[in-house]
Amino acid sequence: MLRTWLSLGALVAAATGGALLLRRRCERTDRGRRFFRHPTSTTGVALLTFFVLVAVGAPLVAPYDPAAQPDPVGLQNRPPSWLHPLGTDLYSHDLLSRVVFGARVSLGVGTLAMLVALTLGAVVGALAGYLGRWVDGLLMRIVDVGIAVPRMFLLLMAVALWSRLPLGTLIVLIGVTGWFGTSRLVRAEVLSLRERPFVDAARALGASTRRVIFGHVLPNAAAPLIVSAALGIGHVMLLEAALSFLGIGVRPPVASWGNMIADGRDLLTTAPWISLVPGFAIASVVMALNAVGDALRDALDPHEEAT
Amino acid sequence: MQVAVAALAALTACGRRAECTGEYCGTLVIAGLGEPDILLPPASDDAHADAVDDQLYVKLADLGPSGNTFGDVGFVPELAERWEWDNPRTITFHLNPNARWHDGRPVRAEDVAFSFDVNTDSIVNSRARASLTKVRRVTTRDSLTVVFHFSEAYPEMFYDAVHHMRILPAHLLRTVPRDQLRTAPFGRAPVGAGCYRFVAWKAGQSLELAADSTCFLGRPHIRRLLWRFTPDPSVAVTQLVAGEADVYEYVPPQDLERVRADSQLVTYPYAGPYYTFLGFNLRARGDTSLPHPLFGDRQLRRALTLATDRQQLVQSVFGGLAKVPPGPMPLLWSTWDSTLRVMPFDSAAAVRILAANGWRDHDGDGVADREGQKLAFELLTVTTSPSRRQYARLLQEQFRRIGVAVEITELESSVMTQRMETGNYDAALVSRIGDPSPTSSIALNWLAGSSSNYTRYDNPVFAEAYARATDATTRDAALRVWRSAFQVLLDDAPAIWLYSQQVVAVVQRRVAEVRIRPDAPYALVRTWRIPADRLIDRDRVERR
Amino acid sequence: MTTWLLRRLAASVAIVFAVLTLTFVLIHLAPGSPFRPSADDRTVSPEVIARLDRVYGLDRPLAVQYLKYIGNVARGEFGESFSQHRPVARALADAVPNTVLLGVAALAIEFALGIALGAYQAARARRRVDAALSHVTLFFYSVPTFWLGLALLLVFGQWLHWLPVGGVGDPVVHDSLPWAGRVLDTLRHLVLPAGTLGLVGAAGTARYQRAAMLEVIHQDYVRTARAKGLSERRVLLRHALRNAVLPIITLLGLSLPFLLTGAVLVETVFSWPGMGKLAADAIFARDYPVVTAAAILAAAMVALSSVAADLLTAVADPRVRLGARDAR
Repeated sequence: MLRTWLSLGALVAAATGGALLLRRRCERTDRGRRFFRHPTSTTGVALLTFFVLVAVGAPLVAPYDPAAQPDPVGLQNRPPSWLHPLGTDLYSHDLLSRVVFGARVSLGVGTLAMLVALTLGAVVGALAGYLGRWVDGLLMRIVDVGIAVPRMFLLLMAVALWSRLPLGTLIVLIGVTGWFGTSRLVRAEVLSLRERPFVDAARALGASTRRVIFGHVLPNAAAPLIVSAALGIGHVMLLEAALSFLGIGVRPPVASWGNMIADGRDLLTTAPWISLVPGFAIASVVMALNAVGDALRDALDPHEEAT
Repeated sequence: MQVAVAALAALTACGRRAECTGEYCGTLVIAGLGEPDILLPPASDDAHADAVDDQLYVKLADLGPSGNTFGDVGFVPELAERWEWDNPRTITFHLNPNARWHDGRPVRAEDVAFSFDVNTDSIVNSRARASLTKVRRVTTRDSLTVVFHFSEAYPEMFYDAVHHMRILPAHLLRTVPRDQLRTAPFGRAPVGAGCYRFVAWKAGQSLELAADSTCFLGRPHIRRLLWRFTPDPSVAVTQLVAGEADVYEYVPPQDLERVRADSQLVTYPYAGPYYTFLGFNLRARGDTSLPHPLFGDRQLRRALTLATDRQQLVQSVFGGLAKVPPGPMPLLWSTWDSTLRVMPFDSAAAVRILAANGWRDHDGDGVADREGQKLAFELLTVTTSPSRRQYARLLQEQFRRIGVAVEITELESSVMTQRMETGNYDAALVSRIGDPSPTSSIALNWLAGSSSNYTRYDNPVFAEAYARATDATTRDAALRVWRSAFQVLLDDAPAIWLYSQQVVAVVQRRVAEVRIRPDAPYALVRTWRIPADRLIDRDRVERR
Repeated sequence: MTTWLLRRLAASVAIVFAVLTLTFVLIHLAPGSPFRPSADDRTVSPEVIARLDRVYGLDRPLAVQYLKYIGNVARGEFGESFSQHRPVARALADAVPNTVLLGVAALAIEFALGIALGAYQAARARRRVDAALSHVTLFFYSVPTFWLGLALLLVFGQWLHWLPVGGVGDPVVHDSLPWAGRVLDTLRHLVLPAGTLGLVGAAGTARYQRAAMLEVIHQDYVRTARAKGLSERRVLLRHALRNAVLPIITLLGLSLPFLLTGAVLVETVFSWPGMGKLAADAIFARDYPVVTAAAILAAAMVALSSVAADLLTAVADPRVRLGARDAR
């Protein structure tokens, strides 16, 4: 337990220290100042750093094995105490350990799925914007269809048809159903960048289309991508939590914040902490991501830069 | 302003219905955890339908308060107002001439003969079929007399003749092809001869029955019965506490505190007719002629049984309100025998047995394996039982400790039943309701050839012991033979016996003369009443 | 205007068509046969199998199956629900009105609360009240919808006993109440589920509304109005608000996907018998026809609603009406 308290303390210090340090360093640049202009940016960066560090250092931070059921009779549904700071659940799992390891799962799934979506969205958007004409038309029609079907129903359908989806497939599916908005953003950026001189120059120098897109255009369209990434992880985390809550996402005994909320659903009146704690965790991380995303959008906004 | 008030009063008054007063009012709201599949007894394999069927249909006779199943002592007449034994192998039933179907037609002997035919039809494959094998035929002497001819005399023959079969209307069902009974519209708009008529069924929400004031068994006091489907036991209890529901037949252990603290609720504990076990599929998935690659091995099954700390599990989930059964029997049965040799909890021994059979963790992934095959299986459970879901998670961990990987799949009740029936599963958490007598339940679940024998257990030694037990003429002799039969079953370990609950039913205080029969909690609802001085608003509602 | 409308409708139809194709492809890629229950999961009589084969042409070539599929959906024939033993179309017909009711109520809350809050924040921009409210909206925007539902259920349903804990109405008395009573009963049951969805949606709307209004407030015509001596309140309400509401209308029209996704969760938490709960329950019952039909219906609803949103925007904003742009 001492190890847990010490590492938690260290991580909190590291996160707040890191955020404040970052703010100090960013005061010097325009973008940095714009980023930290928001009242929520600093807290957001600190929270995010904290949870990422917790996820990375899970084995160090967690006091117990998250899947262990040491005493399903005596340690069932215990409220927060010194030995179990966040209490225990129906199976005598220690909730703090599960929240810590759950951070790995939720953040991991969020990041990976977001990467899949981002890559797909960036590539499709860049191709559509750069190549134009029928390629653009076809790709954007596909995007229209993708935006039309609510993501949840598409995922429900996939889960229904293939009854047992391994987690990896689920991550890819979540990614594949979520790239449409990003592609539109990237396409818009590419369209505006297409006519810029540096693109002409690259073409004149004989660069292939692929080189131009990936080497020159996309890096300049990075701004909306970065914002998409930050906000995207948040969306995916909420989606994964929802799927796990419904019983079709991450399966026990692996702890995910979503299935932890489901575990506590029948015990709301007698042991509310089982559901409330993981919910707060999700809300905190997604809040931090949204705050950082908004601030990034402000900071990296090319329109503001031009003035 | 006054005009507005008057207009408002007129508007609301326009809609007010006539109110019910007196001794024959009342709306009983029953919190139903599961929705029946259909209301046609032979085609239904759902225990949730039984509660509703108990009101809609009648049997020839039913168990009395003593629950005796030997001979015809203590049985209460229903459709049959009296009976006599022509000889030890023939019973003649005389039907009550006042019995009517809900559509007005009189109940006739041919309806009984027809019901027998449907229930013993192999295409329909009803749960009653296994109990009626010794009835050679059922004949009608005249329109109110039915004769049961048995192939042999045995102690529970009367019980078998009357208890399992609900009488169906021949004139409405004769034309329905037997293989379409399950999807026939009758199943969602049934017509029976019971004291309650079918009114309405809103899928996923509620089911309503209304009292038949001309019921030949006596007019029921409570006018309306309303089942309200609640997916969540805790929500059901909340509805009870809030006064939105009146009856709940099984309060989960974690909600008992709340219920006992409420002065408006009365609890009725009774020896439960339910027992739950983890059943192994002894035959291979996809080809029942082959043994299951894992569970065809008796040693493996015994090892897994040794690895489960059943006392700890029952304490964790039920906190003392349930016991670990010594075998496939509920608390209700007198065969509950603590001298039976049960396997203890000994995980070290379990690991030893596994290792001796070649199961070791050769590749260091935490899961035992043998010649490339992993010791991993899929465990099925239902979405609607929180206790079983809890058990699934607890068992998963207990098995993990000895190197067995379990994956839990939650399914809706009827899907799980279908998968077990077709043999497409590894292991499942199964709950059964025990009949008042072991005879039919054991036959149904553990004898080869029964469609409800999901484990596909087949041991001729056990079958022979069973036959001797059912021939015993006195209760004591029967118990002795049952003991030896059960011992055979226990040593084979086709399942891990998990729990049988002391069931606590809860009813609102205003409901009087509540009688609960342990084997069928709602069988006597027609005798309950709500006294005129205790009526509340919804009791006074007249059906429009 | 009419040609624009027709073009948009045609585009919507094309989208639904594409969704149908997608679902068809998915169904045929999946193991087992979703329009006929696999022998593993359910035992089905030969008659039912034959009937399903006829309706879906399961023994015919893929192209014929596809055409039959499209034809069936156009006629509203979605197959038979495996768990309810009745046509999927009937199950949907019972469920969809409940979801629509929930959606409309949630939208109303989202609209009213979101716009009011966003406008209030814009008026008090950069002051402490604004910062505090920003944190509040950020919280409700980031919280998992189902968790919020559970929390509200706990507080208002089980602790305070103010509101019912689930369902769409009290089945005991609902049918025998006068119509005013029935409406009230339904409203009581609607508060928590619609409130949950509405709160989360309002948080998002408030954030956009605040930003939109702030942008408008700095515009020239607003400064002119102020210079002309109009009161601050008049300036805000008349000029700024009206122009900032425009993107909000589009936003609300596009919030249907969020509402439908949220409906799946909220309906499950509150046992609200809508299409979301129908689809979620169908997963555990391996009831593929229901899930597929729900997905198709959801897509159609979204496609139509975006046309409606565009129409509303066109009505409100003359620049769009004159076909000045079809911004994509």
